[in-house]
Amino acid sequence: MQAAVLRGGAACAGLGALVPVAYLVLRALEGGEGLVQLLQPRHLTLLGNTLALVGTVLVADTALALPAAWLLGRSELARRRGLVALVAAPVVIPGYIVALALLGLGGDYGLLARLVGWRLPRPQGLWGATLCLTLYTYPYVFLSARAALLGLDPSLEEAARSLGLSPWGVARRVVLPQLLPALRAAWLVVGLYVLGDFGAVSLLRYETYSYAVYLRYAGALDRTGAAALSLPLLGLAALGWAASRAGGGRGVGYRAGSGASRPAPRARLGWARPLALGYLALLVGLGVGLPLGTLFLWLLQDPQAVGGRALAHGLGGTAVAAGGAALLALALAFPLAHRATRGHGWGTAVLVSLPHLGHALPPFVVGLGWAFLGLRALPFLYGRLVLLLLALALYFVPLAFGPLRAAWAQLSPRLEEAARSLGHGPLGAAVRSALPGLVRGAVAGGALVFLRAATELPLTFLLSPLGFSTLATRTFAAASEALFAQAAPFALALLALALPSLVLLLRMERET
Amino acid sequence: MPFLRLVLVLVLGLGALAGAQELVVYCARSRALVEPLILRFQEETGLRVHVRYGTQAELVALLLEEGARSPADVFWGYEASLATLARRGLLQELPAEFRERVAPAYRVGDERWVPTSIRVRVLAYAPARVTPAELPASVLELGDPRYRGRVGWAPPNAGFQTFLTGLRLLVGEEGAQAWVEALRQNQAQPYPNNIALLQALAAGEIDFALTNHYYLYRFRAADPAFPVEQILFAPGDPGNLLLASGAGIVRTARNPVAAQAFLAFLLGEAGQTFFTHDLFEFPAVEDVSPHPALAPLAEELAARRPAVDLGDLWDLPGTLELLRRAGVL
Amino acid sequence: MSFLSVQALRKRFGPVEAVREVSFAAEAGEILVLVGPSGCGKTTTLRLLAGFDRPDCGRVLVGGRDITPLPPERRGIGFVFQEYALFPHLSVEGNVAFGLRGLARAERRERVGELLAMLGIAELAPRFPHELSAGQQQRVALARALAPRPRLLLLDEPFSALDAALRRDLRAELRNFLKGLGLTAVHVTHDREEALALADVLAVMRAGRVEQVGPPEEVYNRPRTPFVAAFLGRANLWPGRVLAILNGRAEVEVAGQVLCAEAAGTAPGARGVVFFRPEWAEVGPGPFVAHVQTALFLGDHWELHASCQGLPVVLSAPCAPCAGVVPFAVTRALWLSGPEG
Repeated sequence: MQAAVLRGGAACAGLGALVPVAYLVLRALEGGEGLVQLLQPRHLTLLGNTLALVGTVLVADTALALPAAWLLGRSELARRRGLVALVAAPVVIPGYIVALALLGLGGDYGLLARLVGWRLPRPQGLWGATLCLTLYTYPYVFLSARAALLGLDPSLEEAARSLGLSPWGVARRVVLPQLLPALRAAWLVVGLYVLGDFGAVSLLRYETYSYAVYLRYAGALDRTGAAALSLPLLGLAALGWAASRAGGGRGVGYRAGSGASRPAPRARLGWARPLALGYLALLVGLGVGLPLGTLFLWLLQDPQAVGGRALAHGLGGTAVAAGGAALLALALAFPLAHRATRGHGWGTAVLVSLPHLGHALPPFVVGLGWAFLGLRALPFLYGRLVLLLLALALYFVPLAFGPLRAAWAQLSPRLEEAARSLGHGPLGAAVRSALPGLVRGAVAGGALVFLRAATELPLTFLLSPLGFSTLATRTFAAASEALFAQAAPFALALLALALPSLVLLLRMERET
Repeated sequence: MPFLRLVLVLVLGLGALAGAQELVVYCARSRALVEPLILRFQEETGLRVHVRYGTQAELVALLLEEGARSPADVFWGYEASLATLARRGLLQELPAEFRERVAPAYRVGDERWVPTSIRVRVLAYAPARVTPAELPASVLELGDPRYRGRVGWAPPNAGFQTFLTGLRLLVGEEGAQAWVEALRQNQAQPYPNNIALLQALAAGEIDFALTNHYYLYRFRAADPAFPVEQILFAPGDPGNLLLASGAGIVRTARNPVAAQAFLAFLLGEAGQTFFTHDLFEFPAVEDVSPHPALAPLAEELAARRPAVDLGDLWDLPGTLELLRRAGVL
Repeated sequence: MSFLSVQALRKRFGPVEAVREVSFAAEAGEILVLVGPSGCGKTTTLRLLAGFDRPDCGRVLVGGRDITPLPPERRGIGFVFQEYALFPHLSVEGNVAFGLRGLARAERRERVGELLAMLGIAELAPRFPHELSAGQQQRVALARALAPRPRLLLLDEPFSALDAALRRDLRAELRNFLKGLGLTAVHVTHDREEALALADVLAVMRAGRVEQVGPPEEVYNRPRTPFVAAFLGRANLWPGRVLAILNGRAEVEVAGQVLCAEAAGTAPGARGVVFFRPEWAEVGPGPFVAHVQTALFLGDHWELHASCQGLPVVLSAPCAPCAGVVPFAVTRALWLSGPEG
């Protein structure tokens, strides 16, 4: 019975994510014409653009985040939790705000031109899109790499030194391979994000494949075409997922020894300390200071632009949507993560990969899939909050899944077996033995879903009950009509709401 | 329009009799823009209004998907989506009073939706980098080498696409195709929307931009010295195409009476004043005068607009096909 | 000049003085064992030798050369970690080959194969650390540390993760192995039996200091402090007073009797401790009377826990005591001056 509940939960989480995919394929097959259009050279160019952007963003994210992760994980700066929170803070800033802030900086009419007379070119094209996306996606790599660094057994590095490796050699041959699983997971999250993102990218005038799919749908009201054009994205997502799992990672992540490891020694920075602090300041300045400053400038244009009532409405909506989605996503990810670590065979592998596939689709296509399903099959759910929460939760399951799976993986199956030998059923055993150890993973995963769901747009737009609004939808509505003074209070409220969950996320990491 | 007021009074009476009535509006206009007006309607009538905001594409798709199950009473959007819905049979015919309330110049051939406010396509430019002699008389001149790389356009933008639909009606399919091709060859710079165009003008990336008229006033409200100006082309030029926001009543509306009251409110003095004073659009009716800042443009509107009926601007798919063929979308 | 010379090392971690004053030396090919209770600073001393931590002052000389300023990778010192620290992302072969740089591929394979064969784990080469038992991991860790042919091998409690029987077997094996290689080694443990069995030179540490260095037999039989005496085995420590000195032997008043104890550098009237191991006392006719509280059968002998004039005493007897009160004589005793710790 209880085993059935665990399996059933996993199946729900896995198959639920299939719903929009099924819709997509259904729609795509409706008109064979859509597939033929894929052969257009423009689409191939756009696909190339997308892949180039994924590549540059991953490289830039890693180059930017790894030094920061080391400084705030392994150097004398590691104890500065405030700094860690600041460096990670860009995750809570909506991408199009970062794009608008960057665009507002340069040019003849830009902030720099008006304040100090510098006329920098405004970011655009591949380099502009890379800069912008990097500024708000590098925290995923940073958080992941830092957590992995904190968890590394320092005696491995000492062993390598005693075997004749220089510090640089140790970093390359011991630390990096150990970080790779964490980096792969972060790369997958960022890669999928870049694949589906088109808001900020289009503002920076870089044409990507997702944007074309969006335009196909938004401009032409063409569902079939948009669905057909989404299929390559599905393929890319599957490839990314496979790539993140493949490779010679055998044995990585296991701790060889049985004892508790010593915390790693913190490197002294000495003369490099000002340089390090300068680097972190630059990161925080661009990732947090710039958008925040822009928002305050907007606010000053007309501080009374938004009434308290609208603000409260948006705040309540965000709390309900993001909070509910986070809880539901955790409930779905829990059995899925259990299957992933304790299950065997390709059936489990497929089940676990399904939510990641769903997560790789552009959210507006996913939203339309849910609307379609709600109308045809679940009319009692359609237009209700439950459907929005369900769609958000299933879309964001992979974010909750990651930390939970890591938590499961670190728990010995012996614990569970011990609980069962003491007379608990499989579910009870799983819960009793694992729950305390999983709390950290669960809170981290839940906080991550909350952060992303709070800033999510297309799903919320499409599936909201009548009259429902979130801070993100209100910010976007105002900003997209050039009503920046009206957008600012909503955006600032969103940041204020998201920040505590970010702090929570950071507290859940290993004690240092 | 005493008759319209009568309708309103009648509806209000009915509403009071029926107790708390509810109205569902699918609104393609931004919440940030129109929410105050909706709140006011609610206060004045006591009707509870539920609004689903979204892009016009999303809402049209949703209406198509929902079919008879749709809770929507009113669709409030723009000319292209309204014309599409009307042709698909998703809107019901409106009483003649609504059509008559609209100024004759803006009346639509179609009986199933009414314009509620008017916008116009303009040429925005950066006065710092453009001499008066350089200002083109026609949108068709922008393919000329002297505008090479200096013009910005927004192919994904609905306003631009409707303009292109109008151009196809005015100069024919081949003429429109040739114009798009000419601009592309002339390195017209693509931007995602009108706001981005105006910002690019201010930033110095482009010198001219094809856009809708009202955004500039929002930038000027924030900064009176915003370094952009805008003009109309010569009389009758396709570049001066009129656009409309408008509304219709969904065929399966559960509450058609309240829906009519809502349309009457949009066309009434409060609604029209709001559109022009708060949103810098032109009133769709004769007895409300445009915002003073719009006056210079408003005076020329009638004389300069090309001869296109707002109700004929439905062929968005054809326009998109054209843009795709040209490789700009 | 000894091959390994450790001179006056000191190391503080914040307020904690982990190593106060540590000096010792070992000749080439010797096994030096650092033994002491946990927290005495022995592992820190080892890490200072390896270069993982820097001493606040003091020097480490290997082969007459001061290596104190060198980073760990340039010291040529092998290290076997308590938890082995095998690289989980590398196979056994990859782990052992890790330190073999500048060798051709074939040579590297050959060296790895040779080491694995020497340690009797040749068949484990393709496996990964998590697929190995603790004993196997220990051998791999040893092979990895030996691969680059270090001049000095440091072992940090390498047997602590193993069960007692395996530990005893490996102890002999390790000593045999190191002797066969003629390698100089410093081995850290808190297990006195292991320390005594392995060491050529034994250094007993306490609270950041070396209390005594010497051959294990000497340290066991002639401890210089009550702590060393008690740490290395069963010890009876009785407070007493010196009555007279005769030929380097002291007459001590203890437990109401006078006892003759080996002594060095003391004077009549001094207070201190008389020390004797259970096996240095004989149950039978003698001046002392023990009231037996517990008798434990340990296979080859009986161990009696008793009291004598209110002082606790442990005695060794060939057979079970027939009465609750037994007389005994002390055949050998040491006089340890200074306050008892």
